Amino acid sequence: MTRDEIEKRVRQVICRVLDVDDDMIEPESHFVFDLGAESTQSVELVAAFEGEFDIEMDEDAALNVKTVGDAVDFISGYVK
Amino acid sequence: MATMTNGPAKEQTTVLTRSLDGIFSPNGIAVVGVTATPGTVPYDILHNIVASGYQGRVYPVAPGKRTICDLPAYRYVVDIDEPVDLAVIVFPAEVVDRALRQCGEKGIRSVIVISAGFREVGPAGVEREEQLKRICADYGIAMIGPNCLGAINTDPSIQLNASFARKMPHAGRIAFLSQSGALCTAVLDYAREKEIGFSKFISFGNKAGVTEFELIEYLHDDDQTDVILLYLEELRDGRRLLEVAQRVTRGKNAKPILAIKSGRTPQGADAAASHTGSLAGEDAVCDAVFREAGIVRVDSLEELFNSAVMYAYQPMPAGDRLAIVTNAGGPGVMATDAAIREGLAVPRLAESTIAELKKTLPATANTKNPVDVIGDARADRYMAAMESVLADPNVDQMLVILTPQSMTDIDAIAEGVCQIHQKAVKPIACAFMGAADVASGIHRLQKDHIPHYILPEWACRAMADVSWIRQWRAGKLDQPERPVEDRQPAAAILEQARAGYLPEDLALDALAAYGLPVPPRRLCQTADQAVAFADEIGYPVVLRAVSPQIVHKSEAKALALNLACADDVRKAYDRLLADVARAVPEAEVRGVLVRSMIPPGHEVIVGAKRDPAFGPVLMFGLGGIHVELFGDVTFALAPIGRTGAARMIGRVKASRLLEGHRGSEPADLEAIKTSLVRLGQFVTDFERVVELDVNPLIVGPGAMGHAVADVRIRLKEESS
Repeated sequence: MTRDEIEKRVRQVICRVLDVDDDMIEPESHFVFDLGAESTQSVELVAAFEGEFDIEMDEDAALNVKTVGDAVDFISGYVK
Repeated sequence: MATMTNGPAKEQTTVLTRSLDGIFSPNGIAVVGVTATPGTVPYDILHNIVASGYQGRVYPVAPGKRTICDLPAYRYVVDIDEPVDLAVIVFPAEVVDRALRQCGEKGIRSVIVISAGFREVGPAGVEREEQLKRICADYGIAMIGPNCLGAINTDPSIQLNASFARKMPHAGRIAFLSQSGALCTAVLDYAREKEIGFSKFISFGNKAGVTEFELIEYLHDDDQTDVILLYLEELRDGRRLLEVAQRVTRGKNAKPILAIKSGRTPQGADAAASHTGSLAGEDAVCDAVFREAGIVRVDSLEELFNSAVMYAYQPMPAGDRLAIVTNAGGPGVMATDAAIREGLAVPRLAESTIAELKKTLPATANTKNPVDVIGDARADRYMAAMESVLADPNVDQMLVILTPQSMTDIDAIAEGVCQIHQKAVKPIACAFMGAADVASGIHRLQKDHIPHYILPEWACRAMADVSWIRQWRAGKLDQPERPVEDRQPAAAILEQARAGYLPEDLALDALAAYGLPVPPRRLCQTADQAVAFADEIGYPVVLRAVSPQIVHKSEAKALALNLACADDVRKAYDRLLADVARAVPEAEVRGVLVRSMIPPGHEVIVGAKRDPAFGPVLMFGLGGIHVELFGDVTFALAPIGRTGAARMIGRVKASRLLEGHRGSEPADLEAIKTSLVRLGQFVTDFERVVELDVNPLIVGPGAMGHAVADVRIRLKEESS
């Protein structure tokens, strides 16, 4: 899977879980400050990414990811 | 805050006042980082602002949300078109800096940071907090918090609850400042039940921006506030508290400050070799500083509110004379004991009052103070007694005690107290003792803001606190003095000394250079020298071996007293050196100090230490070898003047001995004051002095003067 494909699906998951429009999302968008993720939604996001990509991530490390771009990079490490 | 450190003082004050006005009376509030989940702090803060009845515009900043609490939400604070005075930041700690910076860009100069996760969580949090301070400095923001509950203003024209406290308190004349947020919610609940109202309610948390000092000064000028209550866990600048509180608690617009100070610094627990070091823990020093600052220090919330209500709701008494009206003898006696213990007087009533009481009370009643109206008293009898007692010229204040007996018409008596209270010009307090039976009567009293206490002892304590406030305002403020003009001779001694204990001969020379009464002395290297000097100054004399390894001379057998002739001196000299060699083999003896024997007198201790929060601190008390055992000592921040020295002497129990107890001749108190003032200057002038004991300072009777018998001075490294 290419990085662009991963990014596209990551954005879809963010829009669905956080109920935000796609045009709000930039690679440097901070999940909390720019997209308004509450603490419970951060956990939901991790679970949704795992479901979307059929992967199992290190949860502590995943919750430390702060921006959309970093999330794409982090998930890329798990996706073949 | 950059704006507060650059400009002239008046301009700084104006900027700060404007910023604090923005916190308490904002025109437009942004709540930054709101979530859509009720029951969370971010949501509840917004909800409470709206629900409290605040009439200004409220702007939720919540990225990704369209509306919250029926208000349109903004993605960023800079997206708000209208002007905003106050931002309440509720984002998680990791993004608070971004939010704060945007507030600065938006021109918001008043910010409350509710979020936790700063210096209270360790090094990473400390760095985050430092970052907030830098942003505040860059933009001139007055910041309350972080890690706080928020702020409340009950002024009916504002009605603002910018906090996560569940309910808005009643409006009142008491302001409450707290370092602890969680405590605030308990206080609000407690006060609500007791019908206690607040003017302002502020939790200042980590005080990274606005501190208790600025808030106290703001409340000093706040015409809605009569009393300032303070809960403090950590005092970072004791001198500033002294300076600010002295200004607030005295003068034209004087307002009392009542405070709880909890917590102890680790430095306070440091082991210390000197008496002063071991006795001058942070708490003891704090006590003394609060007293000198005019702050009433209390130990519990109960006492804090007991005394605050007494002050806020009753007139200031003209004096300390208390009359007690009771329907039970036992509680009357308990109250009398408590009143005397707390420093109040329970005077004999005027003959005319006693005559009046005899006319209205049954023959079995006690018409002396405490006035016992007897167990079967109903409201009419209470009323008659209260009216007579309050009219008595020997009475300044009245305590009404009630125990619920089967004949006692509690509600009618409470009503009677309220009627009398409406006309009274003297303060009244009540102790309706019990719980369930007296509940409705207590409620009636509280409705009229008549201070009520479950126990008469608490009432006496509260009345004594208010009396202390009256005395403090009438008393003289100490003016620190620096009588020693030439510090050079002492400086020369200290400059050459290494860190650690200064050798005794040099310590005595340094104190002598500051005018302390050090007897004639000389450090001798041979028995012949010792005898020659003893012949010169006259007998009897004392020999003292001087060595950096010997701190406690009697334990090391390093002294010989009361030597009456040359032969005695010669023998003692050799014996002393032999004894020291046995007791402390590693001791390097600099010589043997020969000085005249000081005539007997009172032994007092005069000490000093450098405290991390307070700087140079002076100690005074009963001296000798039992200093720690009796602990009869008191403290003051150095330097001090003669008024401060007199107050220190007056505070210790031993002052009665010094004033001449049971026919003994009084000590030369003026000489003690002189030593305290000079020692205060000494420890202030020389930062290297970390601990200092003059113990004992022997004080002779009358004008016979006094003399330093022993001294220890500990120095720190020159560079540190």
